[in-house]
Amino acid sequence: MTDYDVVVIGAGNGGLTAGTTLALAGTRVLVLEQHNLPGGFASSFVRGRFEFEPSLHELCDVGPASDKGGVRALLEDELGVAVDFVAVPEAYRLILRREGLDVTMPFGIPAYLDALERAVPGSRGPVGAYLELCGEVLAALDYLKDSRGNPDRKVLRKRYANFLKTAAYSVDEVTARFRIPPKAQDILYAYWCYLGIPTSRLNFTIWAAMLYKYLTKGAYIPRYRSHEMTSALVARIQASGGRVEFNTRVAKILVEGGRVTGVQTASGRVIPCGRVICNASPTLAYNTLVTPPQAVPPRAYQDVNARIPGSSALVVYLGLDATADELGIEDYSYFIYESADTDRLYASFSELGAPLVQATICLNRAIPDCSPPGTCIVSMTVLYRPGVWERVPPAEYVATKRRVAAQLIDDFERSLNISIHGHIEEIEIATPQTFARYTGAYGGGVYGYEVESWDSILPRMMSLGQDEYIKGLSFVGGNAFRAYGYSSSLMSGQTMALLSLKDMGVRA
Amino acid sequence: MHVRGTIRDLLAFKNLVPERNRRIDRAKATPLTEDAMGVLSQRLHPKRLHLKIASIKDETQTSRTFRLVPDPLSGTSELPPFQAGQYLSVKALCQGVRITRPYAISSAPAEAEKEGFYEITLRRMPGGFFTGYVWDNWKAGTLLETSGPEGCFCYEPLRDAPHIIGLAGGSGIGPFRSLMKDILSGGTDARLSLIYGTRLPDDIIFDAELRALVAQDPERLALQLVCSEPDESWQGPTGFLSAAVIRRLVGDVGEASFFLCGPPAMYRYLEKELKSFNLPPGRIRREAFGEIREPAGLNGFPQGTAREVFTLTVHQEGRTHTLSARGDETVLVALERANLAPPSQCRSGACGFCRSRLVAGEVYVLPDDDGRREADRIFGYFHPCASYPTSDLVIEVPPEA
Repeated sequence: MTDYDVVVIGAGNGGLTAGTTLALAGTRVLVLEQHNLPGGFASSFVRGRFEFEPSLHELCDVGPASDKGGVRALLEDELGVAVDFVAVPEAYRLILRREGLDVTMPFGIPAYLDALERAVPGSRGPVGAYLELCGEVLAALDYLKDSRGNPDRKVLRKRYANFLKTAAYSVDEVTARFRIPPKAQDILYAYWCYLGIPTSRLNFTIWAAMLYKYLTKGAYIPRYRSHEMTSALVARIQASGGRVEFNTRVAKILVEGGRVTGVQTASGRVIPCGRVICNASPTLAYNTLVTPPQAVPPRAYQDVNARIPGSSALVVYLGLDATADELGIEDYSYFIYESADTDRLYASFSELGAPLVQATICLNRAIPDCSPPGTCIVSMTVLYRPGVWERVPPAEYVATKRRVAAQLIDDFERSLNISIHGHIEEIEIATPQTFARYTGAYGGGVYGYEVESWDSILPRMMSLGQDEYIKGLSFVGGNAFRAYGYSSSLMSGQTMALLSLKDMGVRA
Repeated sequence: MHVRGTIRDLLAFKNLVPERNRRIDRAKATPLTEDAMGVLSQRLHPKRLHLKIASIKDETQTSRTFRLVPDPLSGTSELPPFQAGQYLSVKALCQGVRITRPYAISSAPAEAEKEGFYEITLRRMPGGFFTGYVWDNWKAGTLLETSGPEGCFCYEPLRDAPHIIGLAGGSGIGPFRSLMKDILSGGTDARLSLIYGTRLPDDIIFDAELRALVAQDPERLALQLVCSEPDESWQGPTGFLSAAVIRRLVGDVGEASFFLCGPPAMYRYLEKELKSFNLPPGRIRREAFGEIREPAGLNGFPQGTAREVFTLTVHQEGRTHTLSARGDETVLVALERANLAPPSQCRSGACGFCRSRLVAGEVYVLPDDDGRREADRIFGYFHPCASYPTSDLVIEVPPEA
């Protein structure tokens, strides 16, 4: 029986970059995945002639090869993982049904401001200043990352004062200072649903960083769905001396004297190790994995109980038997909202009524040959708060998800004034239950803990270490300190692996 | 810039971590008491069902229907809902070998919900490894282990036409019996014209029952039996399910969705016949039929290696095993013989449950059953249930979860 220095629970984005970083540093690392595929949400599935992307809309912070973002630099330069990234053509098309707004926005700040000025004269100045602030916030986060947790306070105060001054506020609170015309603000806020909480509660720091990265670096997707990226990471771990085992669910994190001593799999195999990097959420780990339960300090329960669980989603995947051109689907990424009122839209995530939000992508607009000639792939996503789908009786489950799917398709058709329902060759509808089933995520949560200001990336970073309630147990992925989203999850894995290496006295 | 004033902003920043700590201090220090989504997921998609054979009915000389009910003593107290057309993957220890077989649920969704049973209908194959075992061993009271309901051979109103033309062959009638009952009980809102082809009149399963179902709602259900080797008593249409026969029996096919369930030979025949209808591909849906018997007869099958025996080096859970495999049997069958099988369900290359890593060597994958992901092709993963060795192999196989 081989001994391991580190066991990684879950081969999601964070677990895989952690595993790769550790394997490359020569530590003995074992990644255990309960499913028979890597990736968690970052995967793919096949129906008929189509291979669908389960959750990714667009990866942030990749950038072109000539101007690499953090994710591309991490994968290519630091981990040696080649992924065939394809650029998404436009930032987004936003349709606000009640306001009657329909606007397509490009990547690149000058082009973005031009388009905004055309749509809302007089918006260039204030929005330009706003985006400059967003750039300062991102630069400050980069500085914090480079300082490896020990920033020079003087530098922070002097060079990144605006970052400090906005860190405790919501998006609405900061945006209000810029006198942006209301219609321009509606357009600017389109990406809010990628973070999934209303702008009245969404922390400005994380919002600003995301917005600025999308607009300056563009968005990318792996050519062969996310499964390409996660398979490449698995291959890299294996080639670097690490192990990845599928169909192997960890049932217990073994703890003695406040320290991790190993894990036990569902089949009863005990694997001793001094460190566990957990891609499952802290909520799940403390409530179901740590053994004995008395080894969970009260403070750990308080921590996860204090935080607001993130939303899950319903996704309709469509394989259509006509091309995007033939169907009149002109763009890659659509945000179709009933209105610009994000509080109202968020409130609708708690109900099973007609969906007011959809984020829809047409994969072929980035990768024309991602499906057979003469076809295209479209997927539509709406978010749900925990508790909504749990109330659906099993006997009504299929009819309920079908009803929501029909409404999303109908809204999409009416918003674009097109017809696609006669072209559905394959359809699959995933709900929070589906995500819970395949990924094991608690409540089927797609997003991690909500990023209100008190629990956004900055206070989380400043609490790192202090929240290692059980020595040797740390967290990566969408519920970890960098918050959710593919890019954050990927980056969190590397950071946690580096901190673990430091702790183990290994030089990366 | 500032938000509320420089001093206030900086104080607010300084207060972030203390505020976070205060919120954590105020929270309850109690573990979660319920996992409602876990409960729903378990009710909808249990990994394992423990069922008991409540009764057995002989349908024809070679086919039997097994009525399965939950076995609470083994841990299954209720049946998950299913959609007409789904199957159970039966797990059995057959002559010392752990194997799986997919069988369509032939009973109705409403019967599972209201009366608490599923039925599966098996036809005994001459020389069949598994069905021979079933006929000898499955009695009333026998306990079975199965998957939950699986598969996508289901009517989907968002995708399919409201008129279904069902083409059933042999024992492929099971899912259509389920669908007919579901239409009658209002679970499926569609019209079904079913054409059921068998070789001999004696092979017709559910003959009287299907007629009785149609009689309950002739507006929405129609049935036509077709026999390819009729005896003197046969009065219905004869021959195969040709395009001409289909057109004659159901008339306009342009506005219908075809659902096919039968043996692979029927699919190969129908593929040519249905071409003349010029339908979009989505209008023809076919159920996977499990393993192909005698694949060496198929077009494109590598004849050179069909009769060879290869060595498989199998890595599983840190251990290495060596076994042999014939060129005309799937890698899954060889693994099962050695009790090293990964989880499997569809046995048709589609569901991906048996996905394994091909470290070295070559396999032939049946083109109709190639459900691999693109990245799996690139990174060397394959589905053992639809892959035949054409060289010695080194493979890494996940354990049964």
